[in-house]
Amino acid sequence: MKFLHIQNISKSFGQTKIFKHINLELEAGKTLSILGRSGCGKTTMLKTISGLIAPDEGDIFVAGIKINDLSPNLRNIVYLYQEDLLFPHLNVYENIAFGLKLKKMDNEVIDQKVHQMIIDLELEGQGDKMPNQISGGQRQRVSFGRAIIINPKLLLLDEPFGSLDVETRYNMQQLFKRLVAQYNITSLFVTHDLKEAFTMGDTMAYMKNGDLKVYPSKSSFVNDRSTGMQDEISFWNNIKMFDNG
Amino acid sequence: MPKFRKVTLLLYVVMIMFPFFYLFLLSLSAEWKFPDLTPNYFGIKNWQQIFSSQSGLGTSFITSLFISFFVALTSTSLGFYVSRYISYHPRRHTMSMLAYFPYVIAPVVFGACMIYFFLKMRLFGTLYGVILAQSFVAFPYALIFFTSFWGEKIQSYEQLVATLGGNVMQGFLKVTLPLAKGMLMICFFQTFLISWFEYGLTSIIGVGKVETLTIKVFLFIKESNFYFGALSCCLLILPPLFLIYLNKRYVFNKIL
Repeated sequence: MKFLHIQNISKSFGQTKIFKHINLELEAGKTLSILGRSGCGKTTMLKTISGLIAPDEGDIFVAGIKINDLSPNLRNIVYLYQEDLLFPHLNVYENIAFGLKLKKMDNEVIDQKVHQMIIDLELEGQGDKMPNQISGGQRQRVSFGRAIIINPKLLLLDEPFGSLDVETRYNMQQLFKRLVAQYNITSLFVTHDLKEAFTMGDTMAYMKNGDLKVYPSKSSFVNDRSTGMQDEISFWNNIKMFDNG
Repeated sequence: MPKFRKVTLLLYVVMIMFPFFYLFLLSLSAEWKFPDLTPNYFGIKNWQQIFSSQSGLGTSFITSLFISFFVALTSTSLGFYVSRYISYHPRRHTMSMLAYFPYVIAPVVFGACMIYFFLKMRLFGTLYGVILAQSFVAFPYALIFFTSFWGEKIQSYEQLVATLGGNVMQGFLKVTLPLAKGMLMICFFQTFLISWFEYGLTSIIGVGKVETLTIKVFLFIKESNFYFGALSCCLLILPPLFLIYLNKRYVFNKIL
C-alpha cells in the first residue's frame, strides 16, 4: 500500500453529489497536482481528507493506518486555504510557532525550529512584524512555514497562490518545491491553473463534476485532450509561429 | 484656527456640557427657592448622605452595579456562545429573526406581558426577577451584535487550528477569544448600559421593591426632591463615563 491510499470515498450534500467513488494513491514525499475548474468538488475532497467533512462512504489510509474515525486535530494533516489566514494578533514568529506550542513542545526547541524555518522561508528580520506589516507573498510563506514546521504527514493545499501576482506566484512555486523536497513533505496541490499544476506535481490528476482521474504519468496527462493541455500547447505553438512570421 | 470656528466649538462644548454641569451644581445645592439667584446652601452635604440609610442612594448604586454587571456578563458570554451556534445553523436566518422579537414591543408592555410568568416563578419583586427581565432585552442584543463576528473566515480559522493539531478549547482560547476580544468588550459595555439605564421593565417586575438608581431618580423627581434627583443623576453618569474611558483606552485605540 502506498503512503496515501484513498479508497472509494464519496460525498453528497442533500441530493447534490459533490464527488463520487474517488480512488487515489500517492508515494511518500511526492506531490499530486489536482487540476479542476471552480465548483468541481476539489475543496470538499481536501476537507474530507483532512477530517473537516465526514465522507458518506469509503476509507482513507495514511502510512497504512485508517484515519476515517480520527478527528482533524489527531490526523496530522494540514489543510491550507487560498487565504493565508495568519492570526492577526500574533507576529510572524508566533504564527510559525503556533502548531509547536499547541503540541506543548519545549520553548528552546520551538525557538530553534522557528528560527531555522524563518531562514528557510527567507524571512530573516521579519519575525517581530505583525501580519499586516508584511507583503502578500511573505504572508503566504509564513502560512507555509506554520504548516510545515509541525512536520505533517500530509499537506493539503487549496489554490494557495490564487491571490498572488504572476512574479510572486512564480517565486512561491519555486520556494514551495524547495521546501517540500527539504522537509520531505507529501502533498496534494489543488489548482485551476494548468501550468501551475504541471509545474508543481510529481503526478497529475484531473477533477471534473466530482470525478477524479489520476494519470499514471505526466505524458498521459499531456496526451489526454480533456485536460486542456493539448489546447495550451497549440496556443503557444501558434504564438511562436506568429512571432516567426 | 479662525475666531469664528473657535467660538462655534466653544458654544458646542458648552451646550453639551451645560446639563451635566448644572446637575452637578444642583447636587451641591439645597434650599434654592424662587426668585433667589443662588441657593441658600452650597456644599457637599447631599453627597455626604449617599451612604446614609435614609437616602438609600448608596444601596441603590451598589444594587444597580450588581444587576448591570451580572446582566452584562451573562448576556455577553451567553450571547457569544449561542450566536456561534445560530450562525453555523442551517436555519440561522429564522433564528436570528427571533432575536429581534423583544424589540418589536415597548419594554413596559413586554414586562406587563411577562408578569404572570414572573409571579408563577416567584420572581416578581425580586432582584433575580429584575436581572432576568433585563436579560430578556440585553441577551438578544448580544446575539444580534455577535452575528456579524461569526462567518466563513472565523470558521476557516477554527478549522485551520484543528488541522494544526489544536482541540476545540485550544482553538477557542488561542484564536477565537483573542480575535473577539474587542467585540466582547464593546458588547459588555453596551449591555451594561442597557441594564444600567433600564427603567420600564425594572419598575414593573421590581414593583418598587428593587430600587435601582434609575428608579431612585424618578422617585426623587416625583417627591420634588431635585437636589437628590440631581445627585442620583450624577451617580448614574459615573459608570458610563468610566466605561467610555476604558473603551477609548483599551478598545477604540487598538481597533484604530
